[in-house]
Amino acid sequence: MVALTSVIASIIDSFGAIWDSDILRRALLEAAVVGAIGGVIGIHISLRKLSFTTMALTHATFPGVVLAAILGVNLLAGSAVFGLLLVLALAVLGRVRELDTSTTTGVLLAGGFALGVLLLSAQDGFAKDLTSFLVGSILTTTNSELVATVVGGGVIAVVLAVFSKELLYSAFDPVGAQAQGFSLGGLDLMVLLALEATLVLTIPSVGTLLSVALLVGPATIARLWTDQIRLARYIAPVIGAVFAMAGIVISHAADTAAGATIAVTIGVGFAVSLGITSTPVRKLLGQSHRDPRPVRIFTNR
Amino acid sequence: MRDLLIAPFELGFMQRALVISLIVGALGGIVGTYVILRRIAFFADTLTHTVFPGVAIAFVLDGSLYLGALVAGLVSAVLFALMSRRQALDDDAFMAIMLTTFFGLGVVVVSRITTYTNDLVVLLFGRVLTVSRNDIVATVALGGVALLIVAVAHKELTLRAFDPEGSTAQGYRPVLLDLCLNIAVTLVVVASLKAVGTVLVIALLVTPAATAKLVTGSVRSMLIVSATVGMFAGVVGLLISYHASLDHGVSLAAGPTIVTVLTATFVIVVTGVAVVRRSRQTIELVA
Repeated sequence: MVALTSVIASIIDSFGAIWDSDILRRALLEAAVVGAIGGVIGIHISLRKLSFTTMALTHATFPGVVLAAILGVNLLAGSAVFGLLLVLALAVLGRVRELDTSTTTGVLLAGGFALGVLLLSAQDGFAKDLTSFLVGSILTTTNSELVATVVGGGVIAVVLAVFSKELLYSAFDPVGAQAQGFSLGGLDLMVLLALEATLVLTIPSVGTLLSVALLVGPATIARLWTDQIRLARYIAPVIGAVFAMAGIVISHAADTAAGATIAVTIGVGFAVSLGITSTPVRKLLGQSHRDPRPVRIFTNR
Repeated sequence: MRDLLIAPFELGFMQRALVISLIVGALGGIVGTYVILRRIAFFADTLTHTVFPGVAIAFVLDGSLYLGALVAGLVSAVLFALMSRRQALDDDAFMAIMLTTFFGLGVVVVSRITTYTNDLVVLLFGRVLTVSRNDIVATVALGGVALLIVAVAHKELTLRAFDPEGSTAQGYRPVLLDLCLNIAVTLVVVASLKAVGTVLVIALLVTPAATAKLVTGSVRSMLIVSATVGMFAGVVGLLISYHASLDHGVSLAAGPTIVTVLTATFVIVVTGVAVVRRSRQTIELVA
């Protein structure tokens, strides 16, 4: 009991120390906001099985960032353009009979990323830029970046909330949704655009690795605990924010890279949740659901 | 012509780079064929990231990078084969979490060293031009085992790819077959460590086989075309990188250049196939 209180006291102490530092407070807030947005959009990623597409988007936007840096234009614009190109390329290649979605996604992911590295290798400061792209530099988050994340994330969350009924309906019952006159392609596109907008916002400050971790992890953990999407929708953002902040605190205490520590924290949270929910505990939290469909505009059958 | 194609390979380091590029190109093309047929490109991508903590720990402890990568890769290959049996779990999400967690772990380990950015980049992207004789031996040994596995299990792997239910009904254990392929992929990833690094090897595993699938009608011909495309891109990529750096003053890293040649080949082939198909349709309509 004494040991427990002392552990809690030391956590509160270190939290206080972090809150007192300008840099760390911004990092903590940025992590919480990105974690929460990740949880919001993560539910849709999870329902439409878009994890690999998310991974591909993070890699394929890389040449856009590098090109924008070389040309001296806005980095966000660069990555947004290449993200759109990827979505377009996926849709076009989806019509080729021999290639399935995972293959085209893999080819585009690898090709896009290599192109970015190639462009970067022709510049100076190769190693440093590349590392910050991969693992981010959440500790150097500026006030304007924080504001951009809050505003952009808020817009994305509102759009997803307004269309949540249509998005969930079409994910679970595409045939029914189509029969009622909803455009499946349009709804899929909306999720993809929201996904891309989120990544464009988060990659500069938290890097590709952490973006994927925060977009996929919290929602998957939430869905382990409950089969009810209604509940998961509210649990996921909370899990995202809490784990992201916990990662910052741990990285501060252990003196490790902040972004990577958050990713590992989420992974550990997932493993623990998986262990607990494999036992009868899970049955207390709701019944099983039907398997949702994967995104449709990319598939050729 | 001689200056363009032969002269670069008179240098010792370029010869070694050529040998290892040819080997990993063929390896990636062959094992990648099964990856594409089984549609597990995302798993291959996950593996390329999950070997990273092994590499990082070996790097910090000054041990063998190959050994570290092999251990981490085998752990994730087994973990994944076991987890994919759990119906409730979405494979994609599980892989994404495994990928970010393992990779994050690697970065955490490396970040404990003060100046880590340079080391990180070498680990991730390889240095094909600094390949040693020992690296070639390691690549041949690891790749040989991978080829042996897919050669022995070729028939069963093909059956499982095309007819999973039939394969299970005939008494083949799906977990064992998946594990075979997972281990073969792991070995290729580890074998390509020095040549293209852990991150770009996904291109060797996916792009040549995807290109080959577009123009071939049988698994056998797909294997041959895929390996050829992989080796072709290795040679052309090395030459482009060499000439760009030496003759034109643009330093293009060799690994990414090889991958970009692969992607360009894929784009050309996919466009060509589409054009041929369209003109055939037109002919049929006219006739």
